[in-house]
Amino acid sequence: MTVIAASEIRGQTATSDKALKAALGQWLDSPPRRIDRLILQCLLAAAPLKPQVQPNCGLYLASAHPARANMGALLEAVCVQHKQPKPFEFVNSVSNAAGFYIAQQLGIEGPNLFIGAGEQVWAQLQALANLDLQDGLIEQALLLVCDERGDFSVQALLLEGPCERGASFAELSADIEVQRISL
Amino acid sequence: MTPVYLQRSALDCALGASLEEAASNLLAGQQPRGDVFKLHEVQEPRRYLGASGPAGNLDERLDRCLAAVLDREPRALDDCLLIVASTSLDINELEALTRAQQGFAPEDSTHLDHLAAELRQRWGFACAFTLNTACTSAANGLLYGARLIAAGQYARVLVLSFETPSTIAMQGFGALGLTSPSGQYRPFHPERDGLLLGEAYATCLLSGEPGEAPLARLLGGFSACDTSSLTTTREDGSHIHWVMQQALRSAGCTAEQIALVKLHGTATGANDEAESNGMRLLYGERMPTLSLLKPWLGHTLGACGLSESLLLLKALQLGPLPGVSYASEAMLPFSAEPQSLAADSLLLANFFGFGGNNASLILQGCAQGDSA
Repeated sequence: MTVIAASEIRGQTATSDKALKAALGQWLDSPPRRIDRLILQCLLAAAPLKPQVQPNCGLYLASAHPARANMGALLEAVCVQHKQPKPFEFVNSVSNAAGFYIAQQLGIEGPNLFIGAGEQVWAQLQALANLDLQDGLIEQALLLVCDERGDFSVQALLLEGPCERGASFAELSADIEVQRISL
Repeated sequence: MTPVYLQRSALDCALGASLEEAASNLLAGQQPRGDVFKLHEVQEPRRYLGASGPAGNLDERLDRCLAAVLDREPRALDDCLLIVASTSLDINELEALTRAQQGFAPEDSTHLDHLAAELRQRWGFACAFTLNTACTSAANGLLYGARLIAAGQYARVLVLSFETPSTIAMQGFGALGLTSPSGQYRPFHPERDGLLLGEAYATCLLSGEPGEAPLARLLGGFSACDTSSLTTTREDGSHIHWVMQQALRSAGCTAEQIALVKLHGTATGANDEAESNGMRLLYGERMPTLSLLKPWLGHTLGACGLSESLLLLKALQLGPLPGVSYASEAMLPFSAEPQSLAADSLLLANFFGFGGNNASLILQGCAQGDSA
């Protein structure tokens, strides 16, 4: 296994969605519209790896939380104001929307999985990606982990070939230069 | 792919509080009644197909579901991975909290993996994670769980999948114009007018060993993302066709060997059109037996990969599947008559979802009492 590229974005609780959109515009020609904070964060971590991503790639994404603002807007509209939810807020909440937009923007055609980020998230993402890599379904795997507890970070790794296990992003990316974005 | 057994299973759904009851009711043609709710603002009525089992909070329902599968042979679970496959997770609890405090603060948000982590701790699973790929969540849980066993990562995998009666889901699908105003759930009917949502709690223990009474063997499958639209797949059916082909290849079988295709069949305009086109690309006009299960369960969203697979497989063990009452008008060649199939038939099951998620599974039923 080779980790061929890695990126990491870090931002603060106060970093606005507008600032995330502006940063994303530097990487993508036509970023999608009507997307939530989780999608913005994940796209921003994946975008720097776009030049190295091939179509025959799988996407394995994990997040500790949903997009909280989107979830709050949905809950308040439906449960307090007794309104129908806005369609794009609802669809973003029930689909693997972040994975969809990353695949669309990076031209990824393989499997696309989303898991909750628990204590063993990197091992779990590697185990899922290894199945597809070892069976020859894909040639590359893009792994992303989003964490927003106060300040936020998204870490991304692009792999070629089945990988030796690593317990953390730091361990897995130790041998390559990590593209870092701070907001 | 190395075949993996669906060793033990349980289901609580609109058709019955147990898998056996639900399958018996399906074969008897007993339609679920459902409840009525109103869409906010427009105040239009819609039907919802709630589960039949005893009420209780989510922890109680999930524990009951696990106990139905695990208590028959108490054994340590330190060789077993738990995959929680659901789109609703704890949303009903968050909805109740929001109503009670008339608002929702960011700190009220729960960790996406907390149910899996709590169940792991309470039951002693070796490991656990939550999988959410919209309406393919359970199908992907089965597929990747089986492949983790085949790869020697775990001896057993338990897939737990559920969809609760979430107000956000009911109102959200209504806001998208995807729920049926007529209350009739008629996939592939030319005058279909949308879906009915359903509640379900389903679980399945996967193992390389058949156990005493396996339901089926999972022979293969494939899952990929169609990036053409967040809410629909390509209407020409090309992506669905490709996914079905890849699933067949992974199982080492041909389309002609398939005795029955379980269609996704949401009864929404675009999905049924795309699936019809995908089926024609794979089969032309000569198709195997076709099966629809959402009219009996409702669309159980992330759980449909498990709720529909289990119901179909158990029903095949018990008798002929019911015909489709509107077969002569349908877009695909359904049978109006009950369909008898050998219990060990090869099946292809389709599951598609928002986010471009398309998945197909290849299963082979086991005859009742067959442990070989």
